[in-house]
Amino acid sequence: MKPSLKDSISWKKLVELAKTAKRSHLSDLFKQNPDRFDCFSFRHKELLLDLSKHRVDTEVLHHLLELATERQLPEMIESLFQGDKVNSSENRPALHTALRLPATQELWLDGENIVEGVHHNLSRTKRLVDEIHSGQWRGFSGEPIDTIVHIGVGGSDLGPMMACRALAEHAPEQARGLDIHFVSSMDGSQLAKELRQLSPERTLFIIASKSFSTIDTMANAATARAWLEHSTSAPIETLLNRHFIGVSATPDRMSRWGIKPDHQLEMWTWVGGRYSMWSTIGLPIALKIGFENFTRLLDGAHTMDKHFRHADINKNLPILLAMVEIWNINFLNINAHAILPYDGRLKHLPAYLEQLQMESNGKSTTQLDEKVDYHTCPVLWGDVGPNAQHAFYQLLHQGTEPVMCDFIVSARRYTRSKNSALDHQHNLSIANFLAQSRLLAFGNNALNTAHNTPNYKRYDGNQPSSSIILDELTPESFGQLIALYEHKVFTQAVIWDINPFDQWGVEQGKVMATDLMPSLIEDSENLQDVDSSTSGLIKAIQWSRREHSR
Amino acid sequence: MKISVWGKELNAWVAAAALSKVGNHVTLASLTPGHFETDLVVRNEPGLIDLLREQHKAGRLQFSDAPAPYDNDVHWLAFASDTFNIAEEIVKKIAKQTHGKTLLINQSYFNIGATEQLDNLLDSSAGQFIAYVPSTLSEGSALRDFENPSAFIIGCDYKQSFSQIRALFRPFLTRISNLQLMSAREAEFTKFSINGMLALRLGYINEMANLADSIGVDIERVRDAMTCDYRIGPYYLEPGCGFGGKAFSNYIRGLVETFQNKKISSLLNTLLSENEAQKELPFKKLWQHYNSDLSGKTIALWGASFKPLSASISNAPSLKIIDALLAQGCKINIHDPAALENIRNNYPDETKINYCDDMYDALTDCEGLILSTAWLDYKCPDYSLMKERMAVPVIIDGRNIYDRDYLSDIGFVYYGVGR
Repeated sequence: MKPSLKDSISWKKLVELAKTAKRSHLSDLFKQNPDRFDCFSFRHKELLLDLSKHRVDTEVLHHLLELATERQLPEMIESLFQGDKVNSSENRPALHTALRLPATQELWLDGENIVEGVHHNLSRTKRLVDEIHSGQWRGFSGEPIDTIVHIGVGGSDLGPMMACRALAEHAPEQARGLDIHFVSSMDGSQLAKELRQLSPERTLFIIASKSFSTIDTMANAATARAWLEHSTSAPIETLLNRHFIGVSATPDRMSRWGIKPDHQLEMWTWVGGRYSMWSTIGLPIALKIGFENFTRLLDGAHTMDKHFRHADINKNLPILLAMVEIWNINFLNINAHAILPYDGRLKHLPAYLEQLQMESNGKSTTQLDEKVDYHTCPVLWGDVGPNAQHAFYQLLHQGTEPVMCDFIVSARRYTRSKNSALDHQHNLSIANFLAQSRLLAFGNNALNTAHNTPNYKRYDGNQPSSSIILDELTPESFGQLIALYEHKVFTQAVIWDINPFDQWGVEQGKVMATDLMPSLIEDSENLQDVDSSTSGLIKAIQWSRREHSR
Repeated sequence: MKISVWGKELNAWVAAAALSKVGNHVTLASLTPGHFETDLVVRNEPGLIDLLREQHKAGRLQFSDAPAPYDNDVHWLAFASDTFNIAEEIVKKIAKQTHGKTLLINQSYFNIGATEQLDNLLDSSAGQFIAYVPSTLSEGSALRDFENPSAFIIGCDYKQSFSQIRALFRPFLTRISNLQLMSAREAEFTKFSINGMLALRLGYINEMANLADSIGVDIERVRDAMTCDYRIGPYYLEPGCGFGGKAFSNYIRGLVETFQNKKISSLLNTLLSENEAQKELPFKKLWQHYNSDLSGKTIALWGASFKPLSASISNAPSLKIIDALLAQGCKINIHDPAALENIRNNYPDETKINYCDDMYDALTDCEGLILSTAWLDYKCPDYSLMKERMAVPVIIDGRNIYDRDYLSDIGFVYYGVGR
């Protein structure tokens, strides 16, 4: 049996090292070793990871990687890839990596080669995409579909939405006439806005829900269905057949809702929602960027999978990134993490990573159901860097919270544009990324600040950051980037001995909401079971409605 | 005169045939004799192949295997819209190799300003002149249109060349009622404007037809009344399942591009996309009739060419209808008096299309008939034989050639355009 985390040899050694590190400043580290970039930056394919602006030295990194080995990370990686039941609380594997395996490979799970099923559904996805792109998917009146509304929430929403936005410029000719909208909010506000502008004859809804029972999604789906019914006298079977595609791991529920078997895409219980954009949940991505480009995205992620599984631990990007963050979180007490893409196309990356990391690693019990006595996932947030500079960077530079940052940028952009003003804008953005990461790291030392400068104009610096540079934002490099983060999350979960693939913390609220529904529909006096705050709020809402209806 | 004709478009063939017929010595510079026996453009045009053979035999018509014809009295340019750089190269060589005067007649489908660009390559001081004479021929009646134009536009910036232009066209201008002289650029613009106007009329009547459809009005009655207004007249006002053809569509597309380059939004852009949608109208009517499920059905299609009297299927509505039916898993029986071979070449490996030489054979066991070209052959068919052959007597009349009430009376389910 493994010793508890804090009792492991490397952990103790790192605690020792942290005593000095806590007092060190990044500018001193760079003075001591001017070649830090060469020592602490790493490359895999189209992706460069610079970790030199973290308060690590060779010794710290050595012990961090020792810790990983001591916590049996290599064995756990094998377990993950082989399909062992790494999601212990739900007793199932987590095989998002299988979604990216080439058709020539095999992976057997309970007597079934799941790669076959994956590629079978990929070819079904391709068929649907071809039919829609060729203008031959017809609505009830015979008009070709030119608008897609993707209804999903959480993992069924954030990944596809992020990828569609990130890779939009890769849309092939036949996809350019297709509008894709994402709808997730439970209160229907997004859907209501879309429906006002859309043509029922030309709109196709994708209902994406692993369980096909997520209340947010099913409520939006019901509204979409009612909207179609009100717009035409065509029979409901026709509307269901021509205007809905379902993506779910529960085909019987899709059928019961009315989705034709031909229009059901399968996903699997062994894929977590937040790891599912590579599966049939990625249908909107394939519709946006074309099926070819969707497979390039999968290929990109697959190269990162192979790298994570086989590359030496000293050169393994996801492991290095994970362990340096562990150093920040557990030894330097940095528990806030900002995601800062310097590229407007990656606008939805922060929201995606918030879910990927906080829903995966926002846990406080070990795999053996014991409370942890160390920090796990930090609070994550972010925005497109240049915009965030006008919002929360003040706190990063002069606040009281230590924050680590991820800067993400692509080296080349606008390569096909003749507008040199756009090149200038790209350079402007890169210059800002370089300036901000420098200022955050070195503070006054990068500025030649005069002695008599008042404190409010001073920058303490010493905020660590990782820089990720993509050669160019392509489906491949984007696939690599997202897989890098997935594997980083897994690595950290292994170190913390937590299960990154369940999410019990989001279950109970849904149940409680269901229990509270009746008190909002009827004027219930029966509120004894709830606390005074909740009952007070319910009464206030009831009162407001009564007053209005008078 | 000695004339070189450059280009491979229909008007190249027609000009060569018609000009040699009146005694000129013509060289078809871009083409070989083998071409006209196989060229679809030629074969699709009634009477053209016979005239070409005849003129070739008489020795007045030569092909590119003759000595390179750069040094001639007249050069006739009839290029497709996307071959401007080829035209430029040829004009450069003409300018270099011509001894003495020469006249270039540009009748290509280039954009506005092209004639001026070509003019810049010539030396007018040496008597090298160019004129733009827009093509007035329409597919299906091209020879007749060339030989007997009712109106004639000459766009030329050089007065010195008028006498030669007159001499060249003299045999064809006997019945001319209207001759317009203007600058080359104005003539080009005129050609585009005429085609744009005609397309707008077609687009407008189709839009009205679709509205009439949804509010229970018969567009044919409305149209008849409209055409009585002398300001409107009868031309290009037949509602139907969209216009096609190569030259006409190219002009509209060219005009739309000109607008787009100037960042001006254009009615014509909308019109083009509406026209593409209109081509699918017969399919949509059938789709609705069968409640959005056509899989496995056999459908008959009468008419495949983009218009009657032509074998051309360029931009034809039939193609969109066929694609849509195939995508739904239908079997299609097609009849067309002239275009079957072209359709066959367009769908070489398609097993679900059945080609019928007899129009009634196409109806065998079909669950619907779509009429997409108004060939005369279809106008008064044997209705009882039709009903006998069809499994379900549903007719989608994409050209409104049938009497709606009569067909209903004798037991057909009838759908027209705007009625």
